[in-house]
Amino acid sequence: MGRKMGYLVLTIAVAFMIAGCSKAPTQELDTATASIKDVAAAGAEKYSPEDLKKLNDQIAAANAEIKAQEGKWFKSYDKAKEMLTKVKADAEALKPTLAAKKEEAKKNATAVQEAAKSAVEEAKTLLAKAPVGKESRADIEAMKADVKGLEDGLTEVQNLVTSEDYRTAADKAKAISDKAASVSDQVKQAMEKVAAAKKGKVKK
Amino acid sequence: MKAFRPFLLLGVFGLLLFSGCEGPPIPQEVGQAELQELDLWRIGGPLYAPQEYQRYKSALSKAKDDLIQESSRLFFLRDYGEVQAEFKALLKEGEGLRARIGIEKNSRALDVDGQIAARRAKIEKLRWLASIINEGYLAGNALTKAELALAEAAHLSKQGEFESARERLQGLNGDLKVAQNALAPLLARYTDPALNAKWRRWVAETVTESQSRGKMAIVVSKFDRLLYLYRGGNVVKTYPIAIGRYGASLKRHAGDLATPEGKYSIIQKRPHSKYFKALLINYPNEEDKAAFIAAKRRGQIPRSIGIGGLVEIHGGGKDGMTYGCIALDNKQIDELFDMVDVGTRVTIIGSTDTKNEISSALTGL
Repeated sequence: MGRKMGYLVLTIAVAFMIAGCSKAPTQELDTATASIKDVAAAGAEKYSPEDLKKLNDQIAAANAEIKAQEGKWFKSYDKAKEMLTKVKADAEALKPTLAAKKEEAKKNATAVQEAAKSAVEEAKTLLAKAPVGKESRADIEAMKADVKGLEDGLTEVQNLVTSEDYRTAADKAKAISDKAASVSDQVKQAMEKVAAAKKGKVKK
Repeated sequence: MKAFRPFLLLGVFGLLLFSGCEGPPIPQEVGQAELQELDLWRIGGPLYAPQEYQRYKSALSKAKDDLIQESSRLFFLRDYGEVQAEFKALLKEGEGLRARIGIEKNSRALDVDGQIAARRAKIEKLRWLASIINEGYLAGNALTKAELALAEAAHLSKQGEFESARERLQGLNGDLKVAQNALAPLLARYTDPALNAKWRRWVAETVTESQSRGKMAIVVSKFDRLLYLYRGGNVVKTYPIAIGRYGASLKRHAGDLATPEGKYSIIQKRPHSKYFKALLINYPNEEDKAAFIAAKRRGQIPRSIGIGGLVEIHGGGKDGMTYGCIALDNKQIDELFDMVDVGTRVTIIGSTDTKNEISSALTGL
């Protein structure tokens, strides 16, 4: 009887040891969470939102696994640890691609910004050459006001580039380029109109 | 036999452990649901149906918990029947959500595109209003900014980013207001009922005079950019004209490039003018002089500036702008010149119609 009691106590002690030995992977969880925050700060939401969502889903799944294990008599956090290690590895792999994507967006925005500057400059040069005669004065004045609006727009583009909002900057710069080209066409038409009027007067 | 029992039990246990111990496979609906959730997120679930999407996510999370729980049971006790049913129901809910997102997206697209069209129409209207009164410079800057924001909004809408498009549209309202406020005082003259009534009275008096005396009379409508020639009270000729650079405004003093409004007469016919042929009118008349003196007293006109004069109806072309005179094409001034005499009444008005195009355009703004 004494011997049986001894086995029972030993079995219970071993069971408690096994059950108590597994600790929740809090450190791995903290590391994985920090790696997600790190990629989010590096612009994942802007440049790779789907990858960021996948990372968040993965960590949520790992949390669910931890929760499930916590409710068990014999806990095993191996799977959760494995999942959290994968989150960290995926986040670390994502980070350098974000930098590349950001650089690409910046390059694109800067190129469109330069094109917009050139287009506005061309419109300004044409306007400066345009003869402000009686026939074209109002048109030229109106177009000068248009160009002023475009120059204000270029300032906004620069502010957007400075604040690293490259996509909005590129969109705005593209709109400026298009409008500047349309102003240049109008100036040319106004100049042609004046030239035609002068030619007409010579005939008379 | 008794001696073999432990080996038999161990054998059965081993067989269970190493052969069929994997249990039933995880239902395929689990993977499908994960892909569905990602897809619903991609098409904008959190944005277009946030509550439904959140409910769906919670249901998915619960189903996954149930799956983990079931998976953690001993393999020979596992039964994924309920979990499978749960995931099937979830997939069905997801399809409903997908349809709901589609409807919401279409509705927002229609709304945003409608707003874009309305703003575009407003910008075009303001540009047109500015052009008919030659005041594009007043509104150009603000309208250009509005056009840029509109182009951005249209681009965003095309990409399905309706909220960002809406933000841009909200932003351009301020620019439209600036443009509208710049033009409003000038445009208001043409829709002012009292001023319109005065202009109509002048026209009626001019036509009656022409009728009663059987003589020629001229009525110039600045808004219509037309010169009407009357004989015996009837319009016999209509000529398109150009007016002053700031012709839409009322002439108040020398050098303001505005075209006067009032009842005048031809005081001199000039067959040889800088602008082909010219008919000089008696601006300033008594009313103009009184208004000028009053404005000077109020300090609205600098002391050094005079009232101006030498306002003519001349040639040079209807397509240009003048310093305040009324210009016709040479062929037409040639014709008009021979039909009128010194003393012919010349009445210059803004517009006779309170319900003119400006009025209609302003109503829509």
